[in-house]
Amino acid sequence: MSRERVGMFGCATVGLSFLVTLVALSELLLDVEKQKGAVSTLYNWVTAGSFSLNLSILIDPLSVFMLLIVTGVGFVIHVYSVGYMREDPEYSRFFAYMNLFIFSMSVLVMAADFFFLIVGWALVGLASYLLIGFWKEKTSAVLAARKAFVMNVIGDVGMVIAAFMIFDHLGTLNFLDVFALAEEAFRPNDDAILLITLFLLVGAFAKSAQIPLHTWLPDAMEGPTPVSALIHAATMVTAGVYLVARCHVLYELAPYTMYLIATVGVVTAIFAGSMGMVQYDIKRVIAYSTMSQLGYMFLAAGVGMYSIAMFHLMTHAFFKALLFLSAGSVIHGSNDEQDIRQMGGLRRAMPITHITFLIGSLALAGFPLTSGFFSKEAIIINAYHSDMGNIVFWAIAVLGAAMTGFYIFRVYFYTFVGQPRTSVHAHESPRIMTAPLVLLAFFSLTVGFGGHMVDDFLATYFGMHMPHPDDPVFETIGVGAGLVGIAAAIIFYMTGKDRLEFIKRMLAPIYDLLFHKYYIDEIYDYLIVKPTRATGAFMEKKVERDGIDMAVDQVGTQVREASQIISLWQSGKVRGYAFNMIVGVVIILMFVVFQ
Amino acid sequence: MFMSVELMLNSVNFLLVGYSNFLKSVDGQIFALMIMAVAAAEVVVGLAIILTIFRTRHDMDVDHIDVLKG
Repeated sequence: MSRERVGMFGCATVGLSFLVTLVALSELLLDVEKQKGAVSTLYNWVTAGSFSLNLSILIDPLSVFMLLIVTGVGFVIHVYSVGYMREDPEYSRFFAYMNLFIFSMSVLVMAADFFFLIVGWALVGLASYLLIGFWKEKTSAVLAARKAFVMNVIGDVGMVIAAFMIFDHLGTLNFLDVFALAEEAFRPNDDAILLITLFLLVGAFAKSAQIPLHTWLPDAMEGPTPVSALIHAATMVTAGVYLVARCHVLYELAPYTMYLIATVGVVTAIFAGSMGMVQYDIKRVIAYSTMSQLGYMFLAAGVGMYSIAMFHLMTHAFFKALLFLSAGSVIHGSNDEQDIRQMGGLRRAMPITHITFLIGSLALAGFPLTSGFFSKEAIIINAYHSDMGNIVFWAIAVLGAAMTGFYIFRVYFYTFVGQPRTSVHAHESPRIMTAPLVLLAFFSLTVGFGGHMVDDFLATYFGMHMPHPDDPVFETIGVGAGLVGIAAAIIFYMTGKDRLEFIKRMLAPIYDLLFHKYYIDEIYDYLIVKPTRATGAFMEKKVERDGIDMAVDQVGTQVREASQIISLWQSGKVRGYAFNMIVGVVIILMFVVFQ
Repeated sequence: MFMSVELMLNSVNFLLVGYSNFLKSVDGQIFALMIMAVAAAEVVVGLAIILTIFRTRHDMDVDHIDVLKG
């Protein structure tokens, strides 16, 4: 298949899916009855008595909402990839894997029961592995892919255990049934429901790169930039948030877990934000940003503001994909340079990319009137005002917003402003890449105004509308934080070199800690990877080789030696045989006589 | 070695006849006659084997025939 055909086909499949999703959306909007959810069983896999495992999908506001994002943003990214991957020899394989991913993610969000959900969950992990390690000759990419997959599997285990527990307690895995039965089956903060929600959380945190299962995400940037945009910004990593939203009934019965979610979310938000401030690989900064924004989504979910979390999921999908694709455009146009210290002044060389990146940065920082502003402000204000929120959550969230403004504009200034730092001859990217950028930029600016529509649409599922408390003081501080961050970035990087060096030297220890990702990778390596490897080596040598193999070999050897001894009896001599015969006769006679 | 076989057969005959007398039964004597016939046939075969062995090996020691050893 020629390149053009592959590209067209690959995009068409996703585009078609998007159109079908639009149809589903219209059906849901026109007929409010249908919003309770329609289940369609696709395939009956196993039936044992009254129990059957099917592949069934659920079409309701939440799944259609996710599906629109997956197929819509997915389509845009596919189109972009036609341009970005043009020179890659494995063009077809790329689109095959990308389509596989879209399929897997669709399964995940459309699943009608925990079983199909886990199927999608695992498939998405697989697709992620294949795509991160796409350039398989690159050792670092393969290692990163493996790391991502291993952590994802840890999450899968959690999910499966949770599924078993749910089945054990409720006798069904079907979402609608489970959520209907849960209220009677569990008392709030019951041990069982706490465990179930915690195990589900393991899955969610692994997939969404929250602490402590976050170390795979920065490394995942080894994959091609469209992969980072699709999987590690807009869709796969949001699966964790989707899971919590989908199972909100269960989480509402386990307030302790919700508190944990909010805490981990907000801690991850600043943890990641702090690391993003010192990275110099453009994609890594954006990766940490994703981790941080996911933390905000979990914060929202943890305080019960599910619609807001989903709203932020949507706005984030747009501006994060925009940022990643713009970064890709920069990388593509700078001959695969990813280090911002090698860039500078690209504002003139790549005008369109410059504007789109700027728009994405403003949205991310929560600049007023951008989409990110609406969603992020909603989260921050509700971190304090909602029933389960408190001032500490709010304060940390505000700090995170300041960091966000800082780190993204640091990248902006390093990359686009000033004079070029190296003689890299940069050029603007082709239209097939800049068009998606413009489209995403447009949405990054506009979808923010659709907050109420989203809320109304999802209200049927969550059973409530999201409150918007009126608190001008706290709101201003929240908005201000982002602007403060941007201002700090401006000051920092417009300062003279000497002052900059001075500050860097003063903060060196902190800088080191942040740069080395708080040494978590090293800690994990020491505590987990090395012992596991050692155990494996031990098992291989002592148990497998010295133990089992030895036993099997000995069986053969002993048999051989015994037969050697016995064969000595066959002397070949007549007299010996005659003697044996007499001995035998005597024995038989003895039996006969003494019977 | 053949001698011992003949000796054994003779002793069996002896026992048979002796007991037939003791138990006033003719069966033992008849059986003894049959044994003698079989012994004769057996001697023929045995001598043939001995001759063949001597012709091929030129060695009469029975302990040296251990081709089936192992």
